[in-house]
Amino acid sequence: MFLAIFSPKGNDEVSPDATLMQQLLRKDVSAFEQLYERHSRIVYSLVLRILRQGTTAEEVVQDVFLQLWRNSARYDLSRPFVPWLLTLARNRALDHLRLKSERQRRREEQTEEFPQIATAAPEYEKALDEKRRAERVRSLMGSLPAAQKKAIELAYFEGLSHSEIAASLHEPLGTVKSWIRNGLLRLKEGLQAAS
Amino acid sequence: MNTHDHFRELIEAYAIGSLDATERAELEAHLAAGCADCVKALEEARWLVSQLAYLAPNAQPSDMLKGRLLQTVRAEAAAVGQIQQERVRPSGIPWWLWAGVAALLIFSVYSAWNEQQLRSAVANLQQQAEAQRAERQKLDQELLAAKTQAHEAMIWSDPKSKKIMLQPKDPKMPQLEAMWHPELGLCVRGWKVPNPGEKRMLQLWLISKKSGKPMPSMTFWPDSKGTFSAMVENPPDTMSDTQALAITEEPMGGSPQPTSAPMWVGGVS
Repeated sequence: MFLAIFSPKGNDEVSPDATLMQQLLRKDVSAFEQLYERHSRIVYSLVLRILRQGTTAEEVVQDVFLQLWRNSARYDLSRPFVPWLLTLARNRALDHLRLKSERQRRREEQTEEFPQIATAAPEYEKALDEKRRAERVRSLMGSLPAAQKKAIELAYFEGLSHSEIAASLHEPLGTVKSWIRNGLLRLKEGLQAAS
Repeated sequence: MNTHDHFRELIEAYAIGSLDATERAELEAHLAAGCADCVKALEEARWLVSQLAYLAPNAQPSDMLKGRLLQTVRAEAAAVGQIQQERVRPSGIPWWLWAGVAALLIFSVYSAWNEQQLRSAVANLQQQAEAQRAERQKLDQELLAAKTQAHEAMIWSDPKSKKIMLQPKDPKMPQLEAMWHPELGLCVRGWKVPNPGEKRMLQLWLISKKSGKPMPSMTFWPDSKGTFSAMVENPPDTMSDTQALAITEEPMGGSPQPTSAPMWVGGVS
């Protein structure tokens, strides 16, 4: 399903993505093409889900990968690549979605142009390749109550705040906060258990 | 629940971006204060949140997107590569020598062009300076004319001035009038005065009381309408020493002595 297969690695191994990003520092077009082949589908799927429009989604994906090409030096090679790339893509898509709105302002406050957002992969991440992990995520989230899943989707794919989600779902604020936190913790436990 | 526990419970929501502004600001302050536990938890939460991307329905971008990207990337890589190749290009002649020759050539061409530009600029400046001189001269003349008119006006209007009528010898000729101010000078004017003719002009004489001799003063001639107005700031004699004024027709440039009979005469005192 996904072209990018993430192989579990030992502590001393350098991930294929990190190697490719290093090659990008020397403006290696072949390395860029490989990174694109590995991750363009998940990036485009995510951006399309957020923007719901193919042409615009491709523009954002193009922007994300060009950022990768031009600013590869600013990526921390010690950090997991895919989560970082997905965070970049999500931020760009949400920015595009809201443009000059208040949410755009809030997101600009939260993230940098080229996010230096540290993500740390938990130990159990190595036990699952990307394909299996993706299946597990879908399964776990699918098992949540519909309203709870909806709350998480509104937060992730539309960038809504607790208050906005509560208003959208006509639910108390405290309930929404619990849903989101508990839903993510459930996801975490599920991925741990699967490993 | 203590404060740290409270902030710890906000980490997942912060990672997904759903915290409201107040809680977000409070958590950020807590993270900035250096809570290692929360910072670590946040890094893991961000990873966890990124997995939600797999909830998105599977979709494939178009081949055109890949084509556009690779076209851009290859062009930029080629530009970078060309610069790098030029830096290491093997040659019998060092690159810096080529650079020097090129610089010298450019400098020579530039110097020739620059000299031409300077010549043009100098010529332009000279023209401008000449134009400004002409303009200034014109303004000076206008200013002088204005001063003269003002001076004449003062002589004609000041109560200290003495009016002198000059009667024509030929009754067909018009009467002329003069106004003599003891400090400011003497003015004479007339209307419908015939033109003296080619290379001839009119000249004013002051007839001395003591000697009776005519003292030469200003020369003038009427315009096409026969009008004239002339002023002498410093007449050759004072009003009290002058018995009469006379006007004769003289050659162009005036005469030291009258060469013709007076056409107009007027008693001063």
